[in-house]
Amino acid sequence: MNPTADQPIGRDEFDTPAEVDAVFRTQRRIAVAHFVVFFAGLLSIPAVTLLTGWSSENWVAQSATGFVAIGAGLYLFFFLLGMAAASLATGVEHRMLGTPTDADAAEPEP
Amino acid sequence: MTVDLAALIATLAALTMLAMALAVRPRRASSIDFYLAGQRIGVMTNALAICGDYFSAASFLGVAAAVYISGLDGVWYAAGFAAGFVPVLLFVAAPLRRFGQFSLPDFLGRRLVSDRVRLVAVGVVQIIVLSYLIPQAVASGITWSLLVGSGVLGLDAYATGVVVATTTIAGLVAFGGMRGTTWTQALQFVLMMAVLVWLAAVVLGDGFSYTGAVAELSRAPLRNPVLVDGQWQLQPVVSALQSDAPARFDEPGARYSVLGQTMLLITLMLGTAGLPHVMNRYFTSPTGRGARRTTVWVLCAAGVFYMLAVMLGTAARSVIEQVADTTPWLADLTVDGVLRIPEHAMLTLGRLSAGQAGLATIAIAALVAVISTMAGLLLAAAASWGHDTFAGVVNRRATQEQVVLAGRLAVVGTAAVAAVAALQLEPASLSALFPSAVATMVTWAFAVAGSALTPVIILSIWWRRMTAAGAVAGLVVGSATAITMFLMALLRPDWSVATLLLTPTPVAAPCAIVAAIVVSLRTEVPVDLPELWVRLHGTAADRAAERLARLTIRGVEPHQPASGELRVEGTGRRS
Repeated sequence: MNPTADQPIGRDEFDTPAEVDAVFRTQRRIAVAHFVVFFAGLLSIPAVTLLTGWSSENWVAQSATGFVAIGAGLYLFFFLLGMAAASLATGVEHRMLGTPTDADAAEPEP
Repeated sequence: MTVDLAALIATLAALTMLAMALAVRPRRASSIDFYLAGQRIGVMTNALAICGDYFSAASFLGVAAAVYISGLDGVWYAAGFAAGFVPVLLFVAAPLRRFGQFSLPDFLGRRLVSDRVRLVAVGVVQIIVLSYLIPQAVASGITWSLLVGSGVLGLDAYATGVVVATTTIAGLVAFGGMRGTTWTQALQFVLMMAVLVWLAAVVLGDGFSYTGAVAELSRAPLRNPVLVDGQWQLQPVVSALQSDAPARFDEPGARYSVLGQTMLLITLMLGTAGLPHVMNRYFTSPTGRGARRTTVWVLCAAGVFYMLAVMLGTAARSVIEQVADTTPWLADLTVDGVLRIPEHAMLTLGRLSAGQAGLATIAIAALVAVISTMAGLLLAAAASWGHDTFAGVVNRRATQEQVVLAGRLAVVGTAAVAAVAALQLEPASLSALFPSAVATMVTWAFAVAGSALTPVIILSIWWRRMTAAGAVAGLVVGSATAITMFLMALLRPDWSVATLLLTPTPVAAPCAIVAAIVVSLRTEVPVDLPELWVRLHGTAADRAAERLARLTIRGVEPHQPASGELRVEGTGRRS
């Protein structure tokens, strides 16, 4: 029988402080690790400039190709990194919080 | 297409957006409906609306202009603007939404259980909103001058543009609320992106080669127009990396040293997470998980947007130089094939590609960029005055109708302040500075946001020991340091470090963090911290909302919260 407006929707969802603390620590590790990679990528260009100089002979600055790669590649890097971090964070939450019930298992994905 | 026709189209577009805002306006006088669109904005719609909020004229015209005038050093602007959403995704989006308040000051006030934090944050938000809003109003006046060239009701063209833009947007936001504004901002971003794609397609269709153009432009040292003794002339740009070497288009150094590059990137990157008009949008998402997915789509859209803007800046430099000798109307705009005002790059490229119709299309898209950003800023002002200050501190027993009315009055008041301030600025004197003045004020907004709000928000989410006193210390120290450095740069532009002082976040944000940590360690955390922590990092509310959505799709009519009833997430309580 389907629930109606007056009936609760399955059991109340809840998280315990201990579960949340464990997820929080894992999420913090994920966020910091991805941020370190992101920050290193973002600052790689100034770093290359500082460490090796910038000239047409430089391996990064193969003139036009290097410019176009920076003008497009950085955004691809941001997007892929963001997608990976979001997938991992969501997966961690899914595994560590909210014990699936029989009702959950029976409900199809929308 | 004549310019009058362009003005007619711009007016029709504004009326269409107003009609759309009215059509989807909140039907009930509920603060959740007015400020948060009922928290039912889908992932894609919210992502498009965030882009509409975020991509102002500084992004639409400014990035292409920066690349046009500085080559590779102009790319850092685009990189910094886009990079800002990565920290948002990693540290802020999901927990901020799960805590589920109305605005950034409201979030800080409830997380740290303090009205003082809320009020100090409202003050910082007002600095950011006005710093962002006034230059947008100025830009709307100047864009109207360029597009229409005449005023109405005895006003000159500039004043007409300012008054029309601020009045229209204030009406749109006051009546449409977050729901109406969301749909119009999403539509506005789609329009901006379509114009960029169209111009890129036309330019590429005309035979433009991206890598070929960069190689060609980089053969000779970079030279830009400079006004010397009243005469415009091209002068070589000296590299900021090697004082005796000329700058080149495809190399860094046309504008920034290594330290300058780094400070600009960090300032723009950290600023985004503290922009109230952008971050308030995350509260409209149904779940924290939805907020996270929204940010991924924003990163995708931002990447495409800035990639095209960088390419079009390069195309403008190449194409205009090639046709300057054979195109008479370019003579007034250029010096030996280089535009005097780099922000004309996109507009000029549009006219070269499709005549007056192309110019009008780009100008309308620029106006749309201004409008959508102003709408978001007015909503942020409405939330901070109407909800955070009036309902949160002044009159806690205010009815839903009173809270919504306060928000609407705040919209009108803030728009009036921005319009009056913009009208006080002399457009004639600004013409030499524009859009430098606009870009400078927008950078100020990013600097204050990244120096004060971002560190305090991230610490409040990820550090249990954060206290209200620590947050106040962080907000005050961060904003004071940023503003002081900025003012020093404006007052002493001849200083060798002036350019660095204009991007103060790498200095001011650590100062804010240190102040927040030191003061927090000496004060007590809120007594109900465990409950707040579960609400911030738990996913119970997400799961309940997703289960509700699944059941709704299956045709069940579940129990709906009463109007204005806010579910306290993660705990099952209601407030």
